[in-house]
Amino acid sequence: MTRAPAIRGVGLVRGPAASERGGDVLSLGRPAPRASRSRRATRECLLALGAVEAMLEDAGATRAEIGGDGTALLFATAAAYAASNRSFIEGGGSIYFAYTAPAVVPAEVAIEFAVAGPYAVFIGGPPATLRAIWQAAILLETGACGRALILSVEIFDECADLYARARRFRRGPLVEAAACLWLEPGDAGHLSFQSARERGARDGAEELFACAPLAALAQRRREGLTGAFTLSGCWRGERACIEWSLPEPITASARDTAP
Amino acid sequence: MKPAEPIAITAAGVVTPIGQDVEAFWSSLATGASGISPIERFPVADLRVGHGGEVKKLTRITSWTRVPDCRATRFLISAADELVCQAGFRPLPVPASRVAVVVGTALGGVEEGERALAGAAPRRRLRGALYDAPAHALARWLGATGPAITVCTACASGATALAVGADLLRQREADAVIAGGYDILCRFVMRGFDALRSLTREVVRPFDRRRNGLLLGEAAALVLLLREADAAARLGRLLGYGSASDAAHIAAPDPEGRGLERAIRASFAQAGIAPADVEFVSAHGTGTTVNDPIETAALKRALGPRAHAIPVNSIKPTMGHTMGAAATLEAIMCLLASRHGLIPPTLNLEEPDPDCDLDYVPGVARAGRPRVSLSTSLGFGGCNAALVLEGAA
Repeated sequence: MTRAPAIRGVGLVRGPAASERGGDVLSLGRPAPRASRSRRATRECLLALGAVEAMLEDAGATRAEIGGDGTALLFATAAAYAASNRSFIEGGGSIYFAYTAPAVVPAEVAIEFAVAGPYAVFIGGPPATLRAIWQAAILLETGACGRALILSVEIFDECADLYARARRFRRGPLVEAAACLWLEPGDAGHLSFQSARERGARDGAEELFACAPLAALAQRRREGLTGAFTLSGCWRGERACIEWSLPEPITASARDTAP
Repeated sequence: MKPAEPIAITAAGVVTPIGQDVEAFWSSLATGASGISPIERFPVADLRVGHGGEVKKLTRITSWTRVPDCRATRFLISAADELVCQAGFRPLPVPASRVAVVVGTALGGVEEGERALAGAAPRRRLRGALYDAPAHALARWLGATGPAITVCTACASGATALAVGADLLRQREADAVIAGGYDILCRFVMRGFDALRSLTREVVRPFDRRRNGLLLGEAAALVLLLREADAAARLGRLLGYGSASDAAHIAAPDPEGRGLERAIRASFAQAGIAPADVEFVSAHGTGTTVNDPIETAALKRALGPRAHAIPVNSIKPTMGHTMGAAATLEAIMCLLASRHGLIPPTLNLEEPDPDCDLDYVPGVARAGRPRVSLSTSLGFGGCNAALVLEGAA
């Protein structure tokens, strides 16, 4: 158990709710890059930038407030790199090779927003994101950073034909999303993290993979829940859970954008 | 910042092009043997460079019953087999739910995807292309049911894995952690580095005036991490870790090495040591024109005036850049240097670059028993990592 960090903002960019549109993959499309520097960036990178901007809007903050070497950046994804890997394998090298590395998604965020502190990249579904939140809480508690961003991105469109062949491994449509959470040291409340292997553990009617915990947090934040709440999720038989107690209401509305 | 609880490193297991156990690995490092050879396992005729640190045949395990036909997974399991034999970890001496696996990789099981998409393997093998597939396969093989974590900070992954594993122990989330890194050679990565023009057609010459690129290698390296109170014997201790983003470029390091310098300083802070305590540095030392002077400059700033008196080596000429495995292999090398009282050399360094003016232990191994070592790593995405290790000797 550690001290609960304070939530400064949550940004969420996600595909439409599963009930609004049919299909196996609910896509976000390709955002237009704002900076010319990002023209070569892959779709997952651009969505990551969009999620950070949504978070800044939610927090009512400027980009300068998250820059510097006191900001940690932790990234979680289960599938975002698959698109660029496939593109490189099948496209004969048309994609710039560095973009096949999962680490370049947070790198684009780091470059764009000048985030230069500690970092980590966790691969997996919701437990990976929950672990990233937990790791951020440890970094904040030990003074290794002054603020932490937890980023997750999942895209599926480029591999939709492959996912269509694997319906038995998932419960609902795959919903593309990108999300970012901004944490700072808290002065009250506690955070605990638990993880256990459970054979066949699954949840959710739609699949956002690593984005699911941050999407749930955005929803709770929009509803203004107070006190304690739980974020949980499963991946490959691991169920992870974060219990978060906060002394004050969570109020600001998280941006929840469909394209 | 309060120093972190030191974590015991009690055993290791490796698969490398220069030896498929720790003793053979060390012997090759100490004698300057080379594991570089023409790549035979997949076609390379269309690439500029067709050699690297390839493991020709996995020799430790002969029966792969119930283990996926995935080379990356088998590398990990071969390394784990040595580790569990050394440590008496089969059957597991602690409840399976308290044993965690944390592995770092730059590529995961991407070769499975490459083969399936090319029609050389069934499409169902695509599940193995997920980056976390080999870690879960390793956990199953071990019978470990604690957290199975994959971290992917490019070529710094092997350092990040050790740090995350240490945190699991500090937070009492596990009682034993098998942590490390792996990556294998495949066309995907050879084509990628070939396209970037990062590979040399010659030999890898870190810190040499004539250096012109790196070579890739394949390896797996694992260590057993325990809390100190639970460790009867040990190779050494992990004292500290630091990481920092460059926030400069996705494929090239920051021109001034500021991210690496911050990572090193953060590792000192977590270890509770001063720069003057460092007795040996295992450098990333890729042998590219860009990396080596940047790394040298960062080391000089972080270590201060004593930097020139501290031996620094790079073992990448010996077996190539083993990507996700590199940082763990280099950490093991630091601990073995302390145990054996010998610092492995930087091979092929014959004409020093004036911009690389530290003591790089060129050519032949040198007597010396470093107690506290620093190991540095850099990767795509501006990932920088540093480990502080203490030998048991």
